[in-house]
Amino acid sequence: MQHELIDVLIVEDENELAQLHAELISKHPRLRLVGIASSLAAALAELESKQPQLMLLDNYLPDGKGITLINNPMLARANCSVIFITAASDMDTCSQAIRNGAFDYILKPVSWKRLSQSLERFVQFAEQQRVWKIVDQQNVDSLYQLQAKNYRQDNGSKGIEENTLARVQSLFNDKATHCFSVDEVVSETGLSKTTTRRYLEHCVEAGFLTVEMLYGKIGHPRRMYKRSAV
Amino acid sequence: MKVSFQIKLFISLVVFFSVLFALLGRYYYADVGKQLYQEMSTRAKIQAEEIALIPTLRNEVEQKNINAIHDFMQKISAHSDASFIVIGDNKGRHLFHSVFADRVGTTLVGGDNEAVLQGKSTTTIRKGGLGISLRSKAPIFNAAGQVVGIVSVGYLTSYLDTITVSKVVNILIAAVLLLIALFIFSWFFTRSIKKQIFSLEPREIGLLVRQQKAMMESIYEGVIAIDDRRRIEVINQAARKLLGLSQPARELRGQLISKVIDPVPFFDTQTMLAKDTHDEICRFNDLTVIASRVHIMLEGSLQGWVITFRDRNEIDSLSAQLSQVKRYVDNLRIMRHEQLNRMTTLSGLLHMGRYEEAIGYIQAQSEHAQELLDFISSRFSSPTLCGLLLGKAARAREKGVELCFDPACQLDRPFLPLGEQELISIIGNLLDNAIEATQRLPLPHAPVEVLIKLSDQELIIEVADQGVGITPEIRDRIFERGITTKTRGDHGIGLYLIESYVTQAGGAIEVADNTPRGAIFSLFIPATGIARQLEDTDYAT
Repeated sequence: MQHELIDVLIVEDENELAQLHAELISKHPRLRLVGIASSLAAALAELESKQPQLMLLDNYLPDGKGITLINNPMLARANCSVIFITAASDMDTCSQAIRNGAFDYILKPVSWKRLSQSLERFVQFAEQQRVWKIVDQQNVDSLYQLQAKNYRQDNGSKGIEENTLARVQSLFNDKATHCFSVDEVVSETGLSKTTTRRYLEHCVEAGFLTVEMLYGKIGHPRRMYKRSAV
Repeated sequence: MKVSFQIKLFISLVVFFSVLFALLGRYYYADVGKQLYQEMSTRAKIQAEEIALIPTLRNEVEQKNINAIHDFMQKISAHSDASFIVIGDNKGRHLFHSVFADRVGTTLVGGDNEAVLQGKSTTTIRKGGLGISLRSKAPIFNAAGQVVGIVSVGYLTSYLDTITVSKVVNILIAAVLLLIALFIFSWFFTRSIKKQIFSLEPREIGLLVRQQKAMMESIYEGVIAIDDRRRIEVINQAARKLLGLSQPARELRGQLISKVIDPVPFFDTQTMLAKDTHDEICRFNDLTVIASRVHIMLEGSLQGWVITFRDRNEIDSLSAQLSQVKRYVDNLRIMRHEQLNRMTTLSGLLHMGRYEEAIGYIQAQSEHAQELLDFISSRFSSPTLCGLLLGKAARAREKGVELCFDPACQLDRPFLPLGEQELISIIGNLLDNAIEATQRLPLPHAPVEVLIKLSDQELIIEVADQGVGITPEIRDRIFERGITTKTRGDHGIGLYLIESYVTQAGGAIEVADNTPRGAIFSLFIPATGIARQLEDTDYAT
């Protein structure tokens, strides 16, 4: 099956770095470099003329910030995705980029492994978009799974371990009518307080435990956990 | 020339009453004259008819006994107030004249005797021998019923006019006295009005009212004035907009404040009487506001209160902008410093040919941050919250404190019971406190653990540090305003704010000691709170 190449535009004012990015892209069999822009203005011009599908966008450019490009309607018209690259200490901007629909975000100093993974995922993303002629919900969902926000798919494992959970739950099974505060559970299980809270709240959410507020002195209530009535 | 309101009012009062008196006087004068004439003509007629019935006189007139008539009539006319009494015979000749005795024998003057000679009494005004007079004539009959003579009793008009004038003069004196009283009254009346309106001209008052109205409508703050019985007197547009009141101001006027704003301690009579407040955070109809209250006294008695309030979110967004600017400056400085350090390390490694280590060093620089970024962006949906957490984490790291996010963290939909700004404020304050408490202990610093989790029932925010902890002395009072352990910056406002936000949202705060030291703040806010909808408050238009 013959694959079409994906056109990539690099927006980076540091020439050395741009060359390195270019090299990485040229090594990938499915990607084709269509241009390197070193300013916002040049990036816009390249977008117009080359119509790339992917752009590696650096934030700090001589004539402005790369983040301002993400909202640019020209991107939507060209159907161009963005991998946003910025300094690690500028995380507010990064968060903004993600919410504005960047495909991914990479922090400087760039980890080449992370960048390669990101490029790989984009290739898959573009591939699936092309293959699926009919989009159903499942397809849409898996498309979104490839986006950066779900990069770490550790869903399900929200820090809950079976053994520890069993230990906590057995405490309530043994003394079914007793109300426990976090401190009591801590002293019984030897877990840290924050971990204990996580497990207890997990049990509450799962319906295993119920919660009661015990009001002592004003402003200092205690949250008590109790076995749910079956 | 401009005449002041006081003088104008005075002059118009005086002119009006003068004209009124003049008209009344004229009418009264005419009326008195008419009445007098009527009364006098009746008197003249009665006298004439009575005289005509005296039997002696009838005999003597029939016999034309002039001397006897004269003697008799002289006595009668001496007792009458009439100007003249005349007796004539049936030929119209004088038999007696009370004023001119020598007229006897001459013809009666006036020519109005025809009807009398036919037996009728008449009353006329005619020019007689003495001048114009009002006179009444009655016929004298003999025993056979024939007219034998005429009695004429008359009052001169000049005499009548004298009486009228004297009466009117009395009234005039009373009128003048009244006018003087009116002058004095008008003067004091206008002066008292002038004093009550602070010596302002009506035009100036109108202008003031306009200005005040425009002022009230143009300010961003909500303004409500209430009277001493807590009824609304004035409420401006901003207040109505903030409180979401759709009815016009005139409908709200006179209503009890508790009918318009859900009762809060802020409007409690006892509280209001106790003292004025400035910038108090409270809740008006589901809107968190910063409100001030001032009481108004006029001449020593309480007239009511003026309440001004602002939407707290507005102030929050301002201070958020401010702190962002500060943060940028801070970040720049730290970035430069870090960069220099990194370059030094790198050049050292490269210089010594340790290339693998150099690569590892560079990758380690972003690895942690990238992980954190991936974690936070996948768990929290609010960009503002992401920005806050990333920023706090970065800055904590610069201070040598690590923010450790619990794997159970999750806030993937807007949390309605709290506004985003409130949520940010709560989390930001908790993190700041935890980081600072940790920093106060010597290095190495233990991490600050953070759990932010929204379940179906509630939002849990837990921040645990292993810092200095809470000293027992202030333990019970940490949520009071002004209680602090900080040595600089905003003193004791953070926890006070957190507590008020959480309580207003119906949540609870649990404070506990961490092991082996430090503090844990756990916030539980029910997710069932009512969703708040704030319309955009664009006052500029």
